[in-house]
Order: sequence, then C-alpha cells, then structure tokens
Amino acid sequence: MRYFLLNIILALTWAMLNGEINSGNIIAGFIIGYIILYVAQRALGAPPYFGKISRLIQFVAFFSVELVKSNIKVASDVLTKHNYMKPRIIAVPLDAKTDAEITLLANLISLTPGSLSLDVSNDKKVIYVHVMYAEDADAAKREIKNGLERWVLKLFSSDKKDRLS
Amino acid sequence: MFWDILSKILILIGGFFMFVAALGVLRMPDLYMRLHANTKSATFGIGFLLLGAAVHFGEFAISIRALSILLFLFATAPVAAHMIGRAAYIAKSPLWGGTLSDDLAGKYDKKTHELTAEIEEPKAAKKN
Amino acid sequence: MTVNMIAFGFLTLALLFAFLRLTRNPNRDHRIMALDRVIAIDLMATLSIGFMTLFAVETGKAVFLDAAMVLALIAFLGTVAFARYLEKGK
Repeated sequence: MRYFLLNIILALTWAMLNGEINSGNIIAGFIIGYIILYVAQRALGAPPYFGKISRLIQFVAFFSVELVKSNIKVASDVLTKHNYMKPRIIAVPLDAKTDAEITLLANLISLTPGSLSLDVSNDKKVIYVHVMYAEDADAAKREIKNGLERWVLKLFSSDKKDRLS
Repeated sequence: MFWDILSKILILIGGFFMFVAALGVLRMPDLYMRLHANTKSATFGIGFLLLGAAVHFGEFAISIRALSILLFLFATAPVAAHMIGRAAYIAKSPLWGGTLSDDLAGKYDKKTHELTAEIEEPKAAKKN
Repeated sequence: MTVNMIAFGFLTLALLFAFLRLTRNPNRDHRIMALDRVIAIDLMATLSIGFMTLFAVETGKAVFLDAAMVLALIAFLGTVAFARYLEKGK
C-alpha cells in the first residue's frame, strides 16, 4: 500500500513539474514512477507491489487474447454450418473458496466464449458449466481449472498477502 | 489521422460482431447456445463499438464514460446469462441432440430448485 | 462516414434477426418460449446501446452516450427480473 501511495505522489510530482495537471501527464507520471520504484526496490526493501501489478497486467493480457481467440472461433462457427460444436454440461470441482473468488470465476467463465456457467452447488464445491467445444470432458475441465481458476486464485492470494503485511 | 482510422476499424469490427451475435441467436439449435451467442459475441461487439467511440472522441471525460459503460456491461452480462441459463434448465429446456453429456441431470431439487450438495466428483454422464 | 453507415447496416440486420427470433420460436412449452424471447429482447437492448453509441459518433454529440449508459443499467435489471419470475412461476 505504501508503494502505491509513493507511486501516486511521484505521478503528481511529475505532473506538477510539467506545469499542468491533466490525465495524460498523470498517467505518464504514474508509469515513470512505477519504473523508478521498480529500479529502487532493492534499496527500499522488496515489496509485494510489483508482483501484484504485473500479475494483474499479465492477467488482463491473457484474458484479452483468450477473448479474441475464442470469439473468432464462435464467429466462424456461426457463419458456417455448425459442424464443430460438441456441447456438454460439465461439473468442475472448485478450489476457490470465498464468494468473491467464485463470483469472479463464474463471470470470467461466462465471458470467455465457449463456456457458460449455469450454477454453483449449494456447498460451493462444484460449478456447472455449459461448454460448446468439448470432445473430451476431462480436457475441458482441466482447461478451466488450469487456465482461469489458477489466475483467479493467484490474483486473490496475492491480495490477501499484501493486506496482511 | 491514425486515431481516426483506428476508431473506424474498431467500429467496423464491433458492428460485425454484433451482427454475428444476432445471427447466432437466430441460428443456434438450442437455448443454451443462443445464450452463448447473446452473452459473448454481443458483449464483445459492443465492447469494440464503445472503444471505437472512446478513440473517436479522444477527450478524457467522454472516453471514461464510454469505458465505464463497457465495464458495466462486462460485469452484468454474465449475471443475466447465469439467471436465464438456470431458469431454462429448471424449466427443462431441451438440449440439442448433439449434446454429448449432461452432468447436471437430476441434480436439482424439484420443489425448492436447490442444487443438492455433491462432494465427490459426479460421474453420471448421461447420454442425451 | 461510410464506415459508420456500414456499421449501422450491420446493426439493422442484427435487429431484424433478433426480431425474427422474437416472433418465430420452435418451442411448444410456453415457459421455454418466454425464456427464448427474453434472450431476444436482451439482445435487442444491447443492440440499442450499440445504436446510441454509433449515433453519438456519427453526430459528434457525446450526450447520447449518457442515454446508452442509462439503458445499459435498466436493460440488465429487466432481464434478471424476467428470469427470476420464469424460474419461480408458472
């Protein structure tokens, strides 16, 4: 948290030194401040800040690529005859425990084309997903577990660690 | 000039994906797959349209507004899809003939519409 | 401006398809039919947001984006209310 404040202060300083506080200057200042803090982190003591932000950026990049890729797949399937479709309803066992994690995971599953979360069991152990391309049910389950769920757990676990320290 | 062309391209892609979404809603063989087309391709398309608008205006206040619409749609579309999908399954909407397996079969309580607790991996892969 | 017109054309065709789905429906059970129509209406609401965004770009008036935002808020509530009702009721 301290590093985030420092970063904001650096961004404001940069904007003020430029003589004008507007969005472009603040964003540029934030990026430059981030780089400065990254370089200086050995002197300041290793913070969890950088891992978290870069993880978030990595996740957004991963998710965007996934979104574009699978949307093109669905589009091609809609425009031609639907021969590739192998729909199933699969049950995916959940490792995510808290409500926030499960909600985020379910929303992300629904947003990635080819999978749609239908419901979560009462004891929050299993999520039921309708998938469009699943020749092999186990492979589809593994894809969700290793892809999206791993990312969600990573994001949240780093969050908790940061709050405790 | 560059921004102009970029915004045009984004708008064109967005329009195309919304067209694909509507075609999917019309053509897909069962309700769940129509839901797929509606939730994803349409949200994706409108995302591109709004990005195109944000680039076109290029002003901070307006672009932020467009991006906030985008964020809101990305947050709410899956929720609506989840509600419709759940209601459709409870109403026993038929699955397409080509559906390979259904792990959810027989899991809902008839009266309360609650999913029965399932601790071990359910393996009742019933052919439909 | 022609690009905007092409996008308008795409959206109009999409609206037509959504309308066809709304009127012609393969199901017999009226609850499932209603759910299918809810999907079509949800799509039409999304398309309207798209129309407003495009119109804002075409006319250069950002006010239309506000209208799009309001519609984005309201349409979602309608869909959820319909789905909940159809899940519970007859």
